[in-house]
Amino acid sequence: MNAIGAELVKLKRSLSWAVVVLLPITLVVSGSVMTLIDGRPLEDGWHTLWMRSIVFYGLFPLAVGIAILASLIWRAEHRGSNWNALMSGPTSSLRIVLAKATVIGMLAAIMQVLAVATTIVLGKLVFQLPGFLPGEYLIAAVVIIVACFPVAVLQSWLSMLMRSFAAPVAVAFVGAGISAFLLVLKLTPAIFISPYATVSRATQLGTSTFADTGEVTGPVVALIIGAALILSAVLTTANTAILERGDTRT
Amino acid sequence: MNGTAVRNEFAKMRHLHLGLLIALLGVIMLGIGLFSSLGSPDFDRATQDSWNTLIGGTASGITLAAPLLLAAIASRQVDIEHQGNGWLMSATSGITPGGLCRAKFLALGLLVAGATVVTSGLLAGAGLLLGITAPFPAGRWIGFTAALLAVNLVLIALHTLIAARVENQLVGIGIGLLGTILALFGTAVPAWISHLTPWGYYALATASGYVDGVLVAVTPAYLSIAALCVIAGVAFLLLTRQFDRKEA
Repeated sequence: MNAIGAELVKLKRSLSWAVVVLLPITLVVSGSVMTLIDGRPLEDGWHTLWMRSIVFYGLFPLAVGIAILASLIWRAEHRGSNWNALMSGPTSSLRIVLAKATVIGMLAAIMQVLAVATTIVLGKLVFQLPGFLPGEYLIAAVVIIVACFPVAVLQSWLSMLMRSFAAPVAVAFVGAGISAFLLVLKLTPAIFISPYATVSRATQLGTSTFADTGEVTGPVVALIIGAALILSAVLTTANTAILERGDTRT
Repeated sequence: MNGTAVRNEFAKMRHLHLGLLIALLGVIMLGIGLFSSLGSPDFDRATQDSWNTLIGGTASGITLAAPLLLAAIASRQVDIEHQGNGWLMSATSGITPGGLCRAKFLALGLLVAGATVVTSGLLAGAGLLLGITAPFPAGRWIGFTAALLAVNLVLIALHTLIAARVENQLVGIGIGLLGTILALFGTAVPAWISHLTPWGYYALATASGYVDGVLVAVTPAYLSIAALCVIAGVAFLLLTRQFDRKEA
């Protein structure tokens, strides 16, 4: 917990709130603005609104947002002699890796909560849809939060290796683009190889887009969560091993 | 600023993998251009529709990829000066911060221009190899390429300035991400809205589009893009001169 607390302290005045708050709200609102500009009705109420709000967000902006947060988290370590302080401190490599990824994952979870809240506010106030967001999408939101974790670990790893702020973000953008292309080709097993594909697939749950059947079923949810957990474990192990072999820098 | 300063910028790129990022811009433009045009029901090799879908696909690819990748490219090239206090070192060797920004713009601009022109040529070549028999719209294609290149250069200039002015690279990358959304919006909103931000000009640069559901040839908004270039050029020169008067 101390390590996580320390990471949160490092985020103070880092402008991370701008990404966490503005990115999901902007993306969800932009989906609705396109709907209003095109004059297309929400044929299937909440289902159409969720699809237009979340699917595009999951194709690459979500991964890029997580990448920016990871760059912010590691930015402090690459400045001055902070890297050497990190290497010579008593915190184990595994705890450092987990603390960094957990904080990124927590911020990604807040992003998802804001995305869902914005969708509900738009549905009720702007489009005046009857009822409430269907429960299946609340399940999908939880799955998205879980699927963000392997992306958080991977981006944390990349930002640990690269001093540059922008390079890991570019990797996330290209990786998410390639993963989206694989999902367009309905190559769903990609979710076990690419964390970007896992999170994209999670955002497509229940929307009938790409390879999705339109129903949020137990096996599909288990498949995505399973992929997220396996990738998280593998990436955390690899990241820890690399950091363990790291050294101070002069 | 002189030739040596620009050559220095190329030397600094060696370990920044900027060539890879710029190549990726070309590959995405090429990939999306070919994939979306070949998958389009309007792709008819015997008519101008084939070239129009290829132009539309290319415009989609660059609209999606360029805003964020150009922000990352400029950020990489400028951030090294913040990290190693290169601004002060260059100033003591006679290259002012503004001059350094101009050298970075020229170096990056040359590479981005090369990638844009080569990719455009490859797409035209791919169209011919794919068996398009309709006459190649050379004038429109060259105009479209020049218009895309102009918008790319304006964005490189903008992001060079942002990355130099704000040390936290989150700002430039965040603006690049926002730019991607605005660029994608540009294809759906009325033209006057596209004129309001530099990213909207990608929509104005396209040389084909759908009018009432029918794919037609469109003339890029040359005048608007020329005006953008003039305004951006003057602003870039004025702001980089202002950098020169700041304490290093």
